[in-house]
Amino acid sequence: MTVVPVYLDYAATTPLDARVAARMREVQTTAYFNPASNHAAGRQSAAVVLHAARQLGALLNVEPATLIWTSGATESNNLAILGVAKQRAHRGKHLITMRTEHKAVVDVFRALEKQGFDVTWLPPDREGRVSLATVESALRDDTQLVSIMHINNETGVVQDIEGIGKLCRPRGIIFHVDGAQSVGKVPLDLGSLPIDMMSMTAHKFYGPKGIGALFLADGTPLEPQMFGGGQQRRLRPGTLPVDLIAGFGEAAAAAAQTMDDDLAKLVALKNQLWVGIRDIDGVQLNSPETGGYPGILNVGVADIEGESLLLALEPLCVATGSACNSQSQEPSYVLRALGRTDPEAQSAIRFSLGRQSQQAEIDYAISSYRAAVEKLRALAPGAAV
Amino acid sequence: MIVDPYHATVRAYFKNPEHAGEVRNGAIGYFADQGMRIRLSAEVASGDLKRLRFLAWGCPHVIAACEAFCRQFEGRAASDLEDFETGPIMQDLAVPIEKAGRILVLEDTVRSLGQAIRDLTMTPQE
Repeated sequence: MTVVPVYLDYAATTPLDARVAARMREVQTTAYFNPASNHAAGRQSAAVVLHAARQLGALLNVEPATLIWTSGATESNNLAILGVAKQRAHRGKHLITMRTEHKAVVDVFRALEKQGFDVTWLPPDREGRVSLATVESALRDDTQLVSIMHINNETGVVQDIEGIGKLCRPRGIIFHVDGAQSVGKVPLDLGSLPIDMMSMTAHKFYGPKGIGALFLADGTPLEPQMFGGGQQRRLRPGTLPVDLIAGFGEAAAAAAQTMDDDLAKLVALKNQLWVGIRDIDGVQLNSPETGGYPGILNVGVADIEGESLLLALEPLCVATGSACNSQSQEPSYVLRALGRTDPEAQSAIRFSLGRQSQQAEIDYAISSYRAAVEKLRALAPGAAV
Repeated sequence: MIVDPYHATVRAYFKNPEHAGEVRNGAIGYFADQGMRIRLSAEVASGDLKRLRFLAWGCPHVIAACEAFCRQFEGRAASDLEDFETGPIMQDLAVPIEKAGRILVLEDTVRSLGQAIRDLTMTPQE
């Protein structure tokens, strides 16, 4: 029996894991104190925060002290990019990123351009990947920061962050990775990867909204962007939300337990979905043919209007373009960067699958998508009288 | 926060566009602009729009506007097409102002249909 509405928008956000919810309720009632308070109750909450940092650190193979709590990946991206760019501005103002980054990165670099920084916007290939040769050719003597996302939120393409990091590290260039779509979903060993900073957020992997973190490798220069207290080595002041942090930690622990099973399930479901729609006339795969994250399938279909397609698919919950930007009817800038035309990009639908996704939901999505395309094609007039 | 961008009537007309299709051998109006394409067809008898049908490539508001137009004008005198304005439909369907240009494509298509009907019914002159 299919549940209505059918939720296939896990890249936008995920439901709270039951273990996470239980842990948060426990902390809300027993450890609601200010962890910066110098009394027994405060120390109790501080212990909760430390436990969560250890859980997240264990998932990523890093020390708890390398994690800075933030409100989410957007804040982490802002802190990382602004913090390094400004701290190192006296050494050089050249920065590198990609055209297909999330808005939470793109808009930060645009703001820095207005402040006199020189930003190189790397192009992806038709599948969305940036080659190491492209990155290397953009590096300059005055390059201070490279910021490349790990898994693209629209297409699921996975970048070679290890290779890019190996280009940056010997040159003394700081490498930041937006890991909003990868932390808790795919294996990550930040203890061995040549990455200086990684942004992450809990709600993308069954944790609560409103809490994120920035991994900051030892010795990475960072100028704080907020002021008002001495918390977190003055890099990100403010009273810590103990219950959200506890939930984040629990989500990390749960991810460590179920990641292999989750990934195997997603591979099967994504394949089921693609096999079910790939024979539709004019269908176009916007996700990479191979090697992409199995939780995201982005497809377009020739000569179908995207907004009407989205409405025709209801009550299926999917996304056009980026969910964070779904109020805009503009064609996705990510897909345009991949060489898609405006009509192609505008017809794109992102299916994103998760831990709770079921085969029956994929069957429903396949039949809904096929019916919607058929309906809209029947409604469309020819190109002329 | 995103509120529902569609009025209930838009949802109803989009879900069940009763006038979608084409009148075979009817008068045809067609217009394309702003990425939208609309085709109206009509069977005219005794100066009345006996049947009206539409085909449209566009957003839900455009499709709903076409359905609303057909519901309003089917059965009326063909000469009434000259009085068609998009304002009332935009109001009834709560079309956002940024989509006004798209709905104007319907107005141009209605004009095209009116001209086609006049061309069909015009008596050849000596």
